[in-house]
Amino acid sequence: MTRYVMVADLNRCVGCQTCTVACKHTNGTPPGVQWRKVIDVEWGEYPDVERLFMPVGCQHCADPPCMHVCPSTATGQREDGIVTIDYDLCIGCSYCVVACPYQARYKVDNPVFAYGDTPMESEAARFDEKRIGVAQKCTFCADRVDAGLAKGLRPGIDPDATPGCVNACIADALSFGDIEDENSNVSELLAENTWFQMHAELGTETGFYYLWDQEPSGDTDDE
Amino acid sequence: MSTKAEQSAADIKKISTYCYQCVNGPDLLTVEVVDGVATRVEPNFDLRGEHPADGKICVKPFGLVQKLYNPHRIKRPMKRTNPKKGRNEDPGWVEISWEEALDTVAEKMNAARARGVLDEHGNPRLAFTTGGAATPFKYMGSFPALLFAWGPFDQSLGAGGTVKCYHSEHMFGELWHRAFTVLPDTPRCEYLISFGNNIDASGGVTGVRRHADARKRGMKRIQFEPHLSVTGASATEWIPIKTKTDSAVLFSMLHVLLHETPVDRLDVEFLKHRTASPYLVGPHGFYLRDPDSKKPLLWDNASARAVPCDTENSDPAIIGSFMVDEAVEIGADDETWTHRNIQADTGLEKTRQLVAGHTPEWAAQISDVPAATIRRVTNEFLSHAHIGETEVIDGREIPFRPVCTVLGKSVNNGWGGFECVWAHTMMQVLVGALEVSGSMLGSTTHLAGDTDWNRLLTVEEGEDGFMTHTFTPTSKEEWNNAPINRHAQDCLTPMAGKNMGAQLFGSTTLAWLRLQERAAESWPKPNPPDVWFIYKCNPAISFSETEKMNDIMASFPFIAAFAYTLDETNHYADILMPEATDLESDQLLRLGGGHYFENHWESEGWALRQAVVPPQHEARDFSWIANELARRTGLLEAYNSVINGAGCGIPLQGEGYDFSLDVSKEHSQEEIWDAVCKAASFDLTEGREVLGLDWFRKHGYKTRPYSRLNWYLYPLIEDKNLRFELPYQERYYRMGKELANRLHETGVHWWDRQLEEYEPLPVWRDLNKLWDELIEKNHNVRAADYPFWLLTGRSMQYAWGANVGIQMMKEAADNVFGHDGIIMNTGKAAEMGISDGDEIEVTSPVASTRGIARLRQGVRPDVVIMLAQFGQWKTPYARDLKRTGLNKLVPMNQDYLDGGGASIDGTRVYITRVGGRH
Amino acid sequence: MNRFYTVLQTSWDWRAAVNFMFGGTGSALILIIAIASLPGTPALPAGITALVLVGLGLFTVWLEIGRPMRFLHVFFHPQTSWMTREASVALLLFPVTLIGLLYRNPAIVIAAGLLGLVFLYCQARILLASKGIPSWREPAIVALIISTGLVEGSAVFILYLLLSGSSMQTAMLVLLPVLLVIRALSWNSYRQRLIAGQAPQQTLSILRDIHATTLWAGNITPAVLAAIALLIPVAGPPAGAVAALLALFSGWHMKFTIITRASQQQGYSVGKLKRGRPQIKPPVRRKPDRFVF
Repeated sequence: MTRYVMVADLNRCVGCQTCTVACKHTNGTPPGVQWRKVIDVEWGEYPDVERLFMPVGCQHCADPPCMHVCPSTATGQREDGIVTIDYDLCIGCSYCVVACPYQARYKVDNPVFAYGDTPMESEAARFDEKRIGVAQKCTFCADRVDAGLAKGLRPGIDPDATPGCVNACIADALSFGDIEDENSNVSELLAENTWFQMHAELGTETGFYYLWDQEPSGDTDDE
Repeated sequence: MSTKAEQSAADIKKISTYCYQCVNGPDLLTVEVVDGVATRVEPNFDLRGEHPADGKICVKPFGLVQKLYNPHRIKRPMKRTNPKKGRNEDPGWVEISWEEALDTVAEKMNAARARGVLDEHGNPRLAFTTGGAATPFKYMGSFPALLFAWGPFDQSLGAGGTVKCYHSEHMFGELWHRAFTVLPDTPRCEYLISFGNNIDASGGVTGVRRHADARKRGMKRIQFEPHLSVTGASATEWIPIKTKTDSAVLFSMLHVLLHETPVDRLDVEFLKHRTASPYLVGPHGFYLRDPDSKKPLLWDNASARAVPCDTENSDPAIIGSFMVDEAVEIGADDETWTHRNIQADTGLEKTRQLVAGHTPEWAAQISDVPAATIRRVTNEFLSHAHIGETEVIDGREIPFRPVCTVLGKSVNNGWGGFECVWAHTMMQVLVGALEVSGSMLGSTTHLAGDTDWNRLLTVEEGEDGFMTHTFTPTSKEEWNNAPINRHAQDCLTPMAGKNMGAQLFGSTTLAWLRLQERAAESWPKPNPPDVWFIYKCNPAISFSETEKMNDIMASFPFIAAFAYTLDETNHYADILMPEATDLESDQLLRLGGGHYFENHWESEGWALRQAVVPPQHEARDFSWIANELARRTGLLEAYNSVINGAGCGIPLQGEGYDFSLDVSKEHSQEEIWDAVCKAASFDLTEGREVLGLDWFRKHGYKTRPYSRLNWYLYPLIEDKNLRFELPYQERYYRMGKELANRLHETGVHWWDRQLEEYEPLPVWRDLNKLWDELIEKNHNVRAADYPFWLLTGRSMQYAWGANVGIQMMKEAADNVFGHDGIIMNTGKAAEMGISDGDEIEVTSPVASTRGIARLRQGVRPDVVIMLAQFGQWKTPYARDLKRTGLNKLVPMNQDYLDGGGASIDGTRVYITRVGGRH
Repeated sequence: MNRFYTVLQTSWDWRAAVNFMFGGTGSALILIIAIASLPGTPALPAGITALVLVGLGLFTVWLEIGRPMRFLHVFFHPQTSWMTREASVALLLFPVTLIGLLYRNPAIVIAAGLLGLVFLYCQARILLASKGIPSWREPAIVALIISTGLVEGSAVFILYLLLSGSSMQTAMLVLLPVLLVIRALSWNSYRQRLIAGQAPQQTLSILRDIHATTLWAGNITPAVLAAIALLIPVAGPPAGAVAALLALFSGWHMKFTIITRASQQQGYSVGKLKRGRPQIKPPVRRKPDRFVF
């Protein structure tokens, strides 16, 4: 079987936000909605400070809390692990938003455009009424993956079968692939590096792995 | 690309173009156009495997779609109807036709020309200003050809250059190793010492990728900087050095290498034969020379006597003092001294003596960097240098020295810049890590030659065993007593040279100060230009002490602005002309090779920027505008001739080809770029292929292999038996003496402070003390009342992009800490009762500004940071963000200018809490 | 603990909070009046009050959802969603309560009361399943939500009795302080567990801010007043009324705070490092969806 995961190498990431905007282009998300973004964090106390950039977004959990709480079955999961949202089913109750421990979900109740109420031509061309009033989040670019597979392309290797953020990452920090394939790019990265999954204690079994080599020290509880 | 488009639905096209919004361009990308609407951009994946970052593009090009459709764009040409200019005056813009706009501009140009291209002070009546480290030239199509057809035009009215650039590196880097900027040979470098170099924000796609790969490979980066930048974040170590004390640490590192390290651990062979280390220095500070040949003397250990520097099979002594039987010493203005039996030190010995007192313990007190850290880092640097090892590239064996030191912007301009640039280059020299594999490399040239795509072409044998260089003459006969432009780079800053781009390296601050009658007191106040063209720049925001800029610009009689939106500078313009932006215009540019920061490729070629959709509204391609103005000003023939020369990047006529334009006729932009495409492809393929504009529209770019050997200057230096002009700066010293003579002869004494910098070896200056003195002297304040340094930091999302009004860029940038406020140390803030989100006021000796405190641990307690360049009061969208900019607070004053006319974009400030959380 | 961006959730605002406030009170009220009226059945106005409270809560939630016309989709996922379950119970609660009241059938009214209790339990579980909000997913929240619902229901019933001119039932004056003690203990244990579980600082600080009021004004004082009302008949009505009002509003205030203010999100964090190929847990949906309680 196939289980798609993403690997983010925090030793590589420089927080440039190219993935953030590439995602916005690829998925046509409105201002303020970032299915992929990179957070800029620090811990420690001057002068012993560590600053870190961390790509975040839907972690495509093997056991996704959002899916369990969803009353409409709009949130689903594919056999390949990609957590999906059916915009036609979703009632926009936001229960998934509060159930997600990764702050990955958004809901936009009214159309939002970059400059006021009138969409630019590019926004009008990409506006999707279906996304109004419903939950939305990273899809691992499932549409690209599927379209690519249909053309015989390899997700994570061929750009046309790979999520937009991974295609765009200038630091080569983001990788995408099948973790159930022992020889895949992502399997090799995990085998060769130390890594963690975010909030592993919650038992969500994320489909998002972070390559990193330091355990944080000191306390941070940064709003 | 079109091949992919053919496979897709008929109404979806992917069109190849490039982004050159910053010096790291061009980034090749494809734009998806759906039913005639540009919807999104993607990297051009065809470059995978060829481009050093697999064809990826940075964050900025993703703003281009919004840039295209931004409703705040100026839609058609406009003219001012309110003759009164002022910040609080409404210009009364009314839309006009292009016909009227061009006629008006041409009329003003013709009137200026009729009065003479130079005014009564000898300054050009036409001035042109742009920003973005001259990257706007990459967007101006054939317009530069019009400027050059015009004749002398003034580029001294800068928008930020010399304050916001690597000025000392430009000046000295090019002299020493054709390094407009320097970079590590990152793919091989093992140990990198960075003083505030923010490469992960400033190095573009290839910089980020190469450094990420290097970290993965194990390269260590030691980051000295007052605040933990995005680059510091991924460094092995962050060392929070006190602001403006980098030279102290660098000098102490030289001390460790020259006083605490056995000489034989240095790269002795390199020092002996490829540097001026052995040259003997006379009592007046000039080289001792052979009385006959006038060549510098060195002490030959083999023959135990002084011999001319090019004596074959000599074994030069690099350290020590030697008795020379007979020598001459040639000073400024050919003053000559004859010496007999004179004791003389080598250049390196002088250097050793220079740093004798600069121990790590001394530096620790000044810089807050522990002495042990300085020693450890220096010794690690030395041990990673692999002295003696070589690498074979394309059959050529060259040294392998994988260590490098790099400097950040505010470290290498203004006072102290010379010390830092010299000292960090000396670090490289001592271990032979200059222009060899793994070491510090130069990027490109702008001063030493006009061939910025190939610096190797500028390596020619000059005097004294060094490369040639293009200084502006300082001899009595040749010195230019009548400045050719408003900042007088030809009179005052001979290091800027005399090439095409030299104007950009003169003291732009001085030009503005002169217009404000605040400098150069013995010279008359210059006239403002009769016609000032401005494009992609905003000096009203980006220069220093910006509030004073407004009145000056308001006094300019005629400003023709190429305008994207209304902004703070074109608020004073008379005519606004909307030019076609990135995704709407055509231009062929060089691609790859060795170029700017980390843009070293193993291929080179040409890429086309093209309109992916027709220009919005009535925006016009620059080449079209140039054509129209050329005709209206009667310059068509000259303009065409410049294009035929190399006005669009390559001569249209050359060996075996002739695509030149008929100079008597007007040619459409398509005809011009078709000819350029053909000449470029012919040249690239050595005549095998002639590819026109249509081919480039379809394929986007054309490349050929480029040997990595071309990344390094060393092979050429070795082949030509040349030496790097280090450590001792005899030419510079002489130039300074001569310049002082010239200036004093003409009654100029107001440049004396700057003349002090012309030292053969830079004497360490306490820059914090200097700032104390200067602010007390110039602003009638107590220095102790200004305990903080206000610095800025590079924003990758905004830098150079002219995109501050683009919503998507704001959204992306806001994810990077501090864009929305003023970064200060959490602990210090707590001491002052300031919480995150509180409104604070930051006051420099010249102005104050307010913003939101954003607290972090990763910043020195005596430093505050304002990222990027904000402070807009006119630019739509940006204006409403109410963000705080540093430029307003930075004093503009002649005393802050270093010998090259540069200053730093930082200042001392104090902070007060104004209000509660926002 | 290293945690970043533990920002306040804003997805559920006062509209969701009102559901927990009114819905909790109303559902518990049905249970209280059903038991209190035994062997008879409650007066219709009391039952209607309970249903109106529950209905108002559901109505405000409906105001909050992004696609109100699709509200029927809420019933699609009883296998695992406590929101579906809550809605489904509500769907039964209304007819069963009305039938019980109208036909004066104690058994049906008791059934309605039990449905009310289940409804209340669903509300607690809705919060418990919200893994993104440390202050909601804390298991101690279940006891807190149920105990406060019961307190609020009892309080409203006491007020109802006073307003309708009936005498306060002694049992209610005994029950209220008992429930208040349980709620106070639940509140304390909830806070202790959050502190031990390293909930976001902001959450803890907001809860700390309301702690004294909640404990003293919301629990201890009304318990004392109820005891006074019980022991000093002359002071009964005013003491009982004040006790009930304090008990009710402190419960609402506490829930409003927990939903809208003390609801900082989990935040992001750097986890414990591991080495080697991970043990891969397959996506749960590879197996058919089953009923998970």
